[in-house]
Amino acid sequence: MNIIGSMISSLVVALKQVFHHVGTLKSHRPLRVAQDLPVSSKVEPYAAIIGAGRSSFGEQWYKDPEKLVMEAGIRAMESVDSGLRRRDIQACYLGSFLYQATNKLSLLPGHMARELGINIPMNTTEAACGSGGSAFYNGCIAIKSGKYDVVLVGGFEKMTDRSGKIIDDLMFAADPHEFDAGFTFSGLYAAMMARYIHDYGERDNRCVEALAQVACKNHHHAIGNEYAQFRREITVEDVLKSQPIADPIRLLHCSPVSDGAAAVILARPDLAKKYTDTPTYVIGSQQATDDVSLFTRASLTGIKATRLAVGIALKETGLSIEDIQIAEAHDCFTIEEAMFLEDSGFYEMGKAWQGIYESYESSKGSKHIPYVKDGASIIVNPGGGLKADGHPVGATGVRQIVECFKQLRNEAGNHQVEVDGDLNLALCHNIGGTGGIAVVHILARDI
Amino acid sequence: MSEPTARRRILVDYRIRASRCAECGQTYFPPKSFCNVEGRGSRMNYVDYFNSKGTLVSGSIIRKPTNKFLYLGTYLSGIVYFNDGGVKVPGRITDLVLPEGEADVDSFIGRGVIPRFRRLYSDGSDGLVYYSSLNFSFDDDYYTYREYEKAKPSEATTRPGIVGYGVYLPKFRIKNEEEALGVRERTVPFADEDTTTFAVEAGRMALTHAGIDSLSVKKCFVGSESAPYAVKPTMSTVSQALLLGEEHEGGFFSGGIDSQFACKAATDLFIDAAALVAYSPFAGEYVLVIGSDNSQAARKDPLDYTVGAGAAAFLFGRRDVIATLDHYVPYTSDTPDFYRRDGEKYPRHGGRFTGEPAYFKHVVTAMRTALKASGLTPKDIRFVVCHSPNAKFPLQAAVEAGFEPQQIEPGLIVKNIGNLYSGSSPAALAAVLDLAEPGDRIMMTSYGSGAGSESYVFTVTKEIEKKRERSVPVKQMIENERRAYVDYDTYREWKELV
Repeated sequence: MNIIGSMISSLVVALKQVFHHVGTLKSHRPLRVAQDLPVSSKVEPYAAIIGAGRSSFGEQWYKDPEKLVMEAGIRAMESVDSGLRRRDIQACYLGSFLYQATNKLSLLPGHMARELGINIPMNTTEAACGSGGSAFYNGCIAIKSGKYDVVLVGGFEKMTDRSGKIIDDLMFAADPHEFDAGFTFSGLYAAMMARYIHDYGERDNRCVEALAQVACKNHHHAIGNEYAQFRREITVEDVLKSQPIADPIRLLHCSPVSDGAAAVILARPDLAKKYTDTPTYVIGSQQATDDVSLFTRASLTGIKATRLAVGIALKETGLSIEDIQIAEAHDCFTIEEAMFLEDSGFYEMGKAWQGIYESYESSKGSKHIPYVKDGASIIVNPGGGLKADGHPVGATGVRQIVECFKQLRNEAGNHQVEVDGDLNLALCHNIGGTGGIAVVHILARDI
Repeated sequence: MSEPTARRRILVDYRIRASRCAECGQTYFPPKSFCNVEGRGSRMNYVDYFNSKGTLVSGSIIRKPTNKFLYLGTYLSGIVYFNDGGVKVPGRITDLVLPEGEADVDSFIGRGVIPRFRRLYSDGSDGLVYYSSLNFSFDDDYYTYREYEKAKPSEATTRPGIVGYGVYLPKFRIKNEEEALGVRERTVPFADEDTTTFAVEAGRMALTHAGIDSLSVKKCFVGSESAPYAVKPTMSTVSQALLLGEEHEGGFFSGGIDSQFACKAATDLFIDAAALVAYSPFAGEYVLVIGSDNSQAARKDPLDYTVGAGAAAFLFGRRDVIATLDHYVPYTSDTPDFYRRDGEKYPRHGGRFTGEPAYFKHVVTAMRTALKASGLTPKDIRFVVCHSPNAKFPLQAAVEAGFEPQQIEPGLIVKNIGNLYSGSSPAALAAVLDLAEPGDRIMMTSYGSGAGSESYVFTVTKEIEKKRERSVPVKQMIENERRAYVDYDTYREWKELV
């Protein structure tokens, strides 16, 4: 580190001591008194989000992957209320899964250095569908460490260039034995869905319907999302009559193949207000891992990495899942959203389908369809999730942050969530493969 | 999969090999070098599930497969638990033709499954072929499950012979609209089967029937004229899959060779196998001889109505012999009756040579000479089996050599399975061994185009009765109610894939 860098670093430490950012969380529910919380209600954020941007998701025939990241990155920078210059960015954390195979690219930092015209440290994270969330996790650690004041986190995927081979390529995120067993990614999730229905469905057709309703709800949420890949309503019948892909999964149970990118700007919490009056704070940041192979795991009907990451994130923030108002859940296939509702503790194991069914049936026609249970509700995937917004794999984890950032700042436009009281707490859940990694972030507008 | 990847993985994938902690019994697939529970100081042993029965715990009907599996169309992939979840593996359900339209995955959950050695895919017609045992058939489907148990061997006898055998016939059949020289229906390989997979399955059945330790089999011969590789032995795949010989650093202390002599590629090595086990420098207890063919025929060629597919495996040794090898008479001439030039896909008949100057001359000469050399008369022999290109030729040859039709009839399984080429006469031998009683004599005469025959005389011992329950009778496979029929186009498609 040069002398200037060293001075800056010292200054950072000093400033941190002066502006030690400590706050009390505001929840939409009556806050419990501090002694009731599992951990202290005083939370020190990992980082503050000061800007966010994204591209549209879908087929982006004329855009190179690096151009897509730039588009998202520039939008993120331009969204910073008080302005942000390129030279303010001290490091980049990028997430992508398949660019080496799909786009024949490597050394992403070199591409980004050229596009941005700056020569700062850049790191690429690959964690399959969890690449974006993992890049964001690394960005949070970078800020939290005190090494950087401002970093850019980006995620992207350009999948449609590889349409003839993408089914094969996605299996890079599975165990090779699963590939050799003839599985596809939809097939692996279908094995989870089949077992879920077998174990918990009670031979009740409402279970099958509920797993279709997830897709309908997410399409409904995407109607007002100008960036979403699919902005059209679908019905349960549409889902259940769509083309079988990997029984019991049908086409409309699946998130699509997409191109797209998303980016956010992270800043040290104590410096955030220099850039905007309304930063959003990352108060929980956790990652957990598990076997890459579905077949070796203890359960086919839940994701252990999700349970661990959500559990620790909630614990470190002193929150319960019922405190969370909106969640971005990794609905690569609708069964995964159901499992998230159970793994996160919102619904009991094996009961999510009942909650989904009752919630969907009781909220038809409302702008957003919350999942409800006694005394609590949560809106999941308010912009359409992976299912309808699109799933450019490496972009997804960052796109979830972008969505929550905009929602918490009341900037989500036509798909803005409206709740009684303040919208303050959001959770992002991004997983890789069939659950080999889960990244969970909890964001708060006010702390 | 690349060549190095394949080489590294076959030890695990051919045997479904897992590692088990010697302390706590925790088992891992793919195998790990230490136990998660006991830590890095744990001692791990290998166990394999090649001969085990598992349970399908979930799965999916794959309709949009990866490019490697497009050749299979729609199929069921699943997750299989052995030991109630002590070991979990992924696998594809094979030999399952799913009905068009809706299918209920739930109906497959909980069903018992048996590993099958099958093709995964190949790197095109000029690339490697990849195999694995992580393919399964349902245990209540066509294939009968027999537990592989090692019996305590008896003292060695001076007269070597057959100690076990196994015949593998694929589940699928095609019916001839009209009988072709007495052939009514024929076995058809599923799309993921080939000569190598037949050989492994027949070998597995022979080992199970014999009840011997595969490590004491030190030589393996595989005779075929339809091996997937022109250069690269089938035998090494078979040895690796069946664990023949003591293992050492990924290889095995056993040898062998692929042989080719049209339809007698395997049977001519019976005498060599018997001789080897009686030869002290060999130092091996057993020799495995397999005849395996996905019998080739050009579309609409006369052969296209008689060819079958399958394999027969025979283990030779000197302990617990079920049939001693008593006499052997070979007869050979350079007769170009049937051939396939290098690089050509299908064999051709050499016009007028087929029949009288080829099959009948060699088969009948060998049979008559064997009778003479052994001092036996046709009445001293209970069953006669011959290479069976169809049902007419062996009958005619046997009668010409002085036998009665009822002596050849039990071995005429060709009527229901077609011509297995290298597996033809050994499969017929197996069919009559299924029926034979101690003291019965059997004459087997093979025939290979090009041309040659050899006649063997075997005498059945009382040991045969002890091993009955460990075999799967050929008749049971032929008449199995779970066999499934395919149409001509499917038969050709699957056969061509191989």
